[in-house]
Amino acid sequence: MTALDTATDSLLAQRSADGDTRAFAVLVRRHGPFLRAYATRLTGSSSDADDAVQEALIAAWNQLDTLRDTTKVRSWLVSIVSRKATDRIRARRSSDELDDDLPAEGVTPEQAAVASSRLEALSVVLASLPEGQRQCWALKELGGYSYEEIGERLGMTPAMVRGKLARARATMVTGMEAWR
Amino acid sequence: MTETEEGIGGSGYTLDDLSAYLDRGRLPAIAAIDTNAECRAVLDSMERVGALSRELLASDVRENPSVDENWLGSLLTSISRELRAGRDIPLSSTDPTTSLSITEGAVRELVRSAGDSVDGVLVGSCTLIGTPDGTEPIQVSLTISVVLARPLQELADEVRKRVYSELLKHTELDIEAVNVTIGDVHIMTSEDPR
Repeated sequence: MTALDTATDSLLAQRSADGDTRAFAVLVRRHGPFLRAYATRLTGSSSDADDAVQEALIAAWNQLDTLRDTTKVRSWLVSIVSRKATDRIRARRSSDELDDDLPAEGVTPEQAAVASSRLEALSVVLASLPEGQRQCWALKELGGYSYEEIGERLGMTPAMVRGKLARARATMVTGMEAWR
Repeated sequence: MTETEEGIGGSGYTLDDLSAYLDRGRLPAIAAIDTNAECRAVLDSMERVGALSRELLASDVRENPSVDENWLGSLLTSISRELRAGRDIPLSSTDPTTSLSITEGAVRELVRSAGDSVDGVLVGSCTLIGTPDGTEPIQVSLTISVVLARPLQELADEVRKRVYSELLKHTELDIEAVNVTIGDVHIMTSEDPR
């Protein structure tokens, strides 16, 4: 008997669409860690990320029969997680919106430089970004979405996305200067 | 980086412009940016932190490489409540006051496990063609994925035979044909993570 966990995403998606929960479990084990890491960076909160991933997977299960190209399971799951995560962000947003256009505070290149690794330094710099900027960064750099798509998800114009992303990048470049 | 009235490095382009230019893949090429050393340095730095961002995500995954099995268990429980059972397929009963049936979903499960029991084969999708209420013969179509270990024809025949006999054993469906399509032939591996 051939083990299901050696199967391709495409085959697992077909079986899941037919109602095979075992096949779906293999997909979740395979892609869950990535989805969770992505959602955590996007929302900045591991509990929001867990909820968004859980909701996304339930939605995915219910919509699997609408997935046309079953070889694209992973990016399809990422898009559902992005949607669920940004829904959460929008639901809890109200008080944190005002400070968004201020420059990032708290991290100087010197502070980032004492981190023990380049990645840790980046993590420190990211944590200092205002929410909206960090979300634009995650959807662009990690999700690969266009300004229009990001704007739609976050309730901003593409021009606002463009501005926030540029500011996020400028802060990151400055913060990471010591780590070149 | 120095941004003045004249833009970054006097190029006339702002930080926002450069960031957007990067996202367009630096196309169509803008000579005033491409020939400006300071602009190029900014673009390269932005590109570098972008790549580093994806590295950070990959490292997050390496630190938490598996899902929590308890969490997965409860997720599966909640989705199986919404199981795609499909149509009810009647079974005859000796007791006239009882009506028995098997769901289409359960029939698919039978087909999958019969096909999977052939070494080197995994069943993909499975469809019942026709009205499975016992009034007319139906066809079963399935796709399989195989590891190239035995001749394809032999594998497909074996699958057809086992699916047919399992359905005969557990259902009263009048099976006209079992159609097996070989979806892919390869060493089965996961889709490459991006």
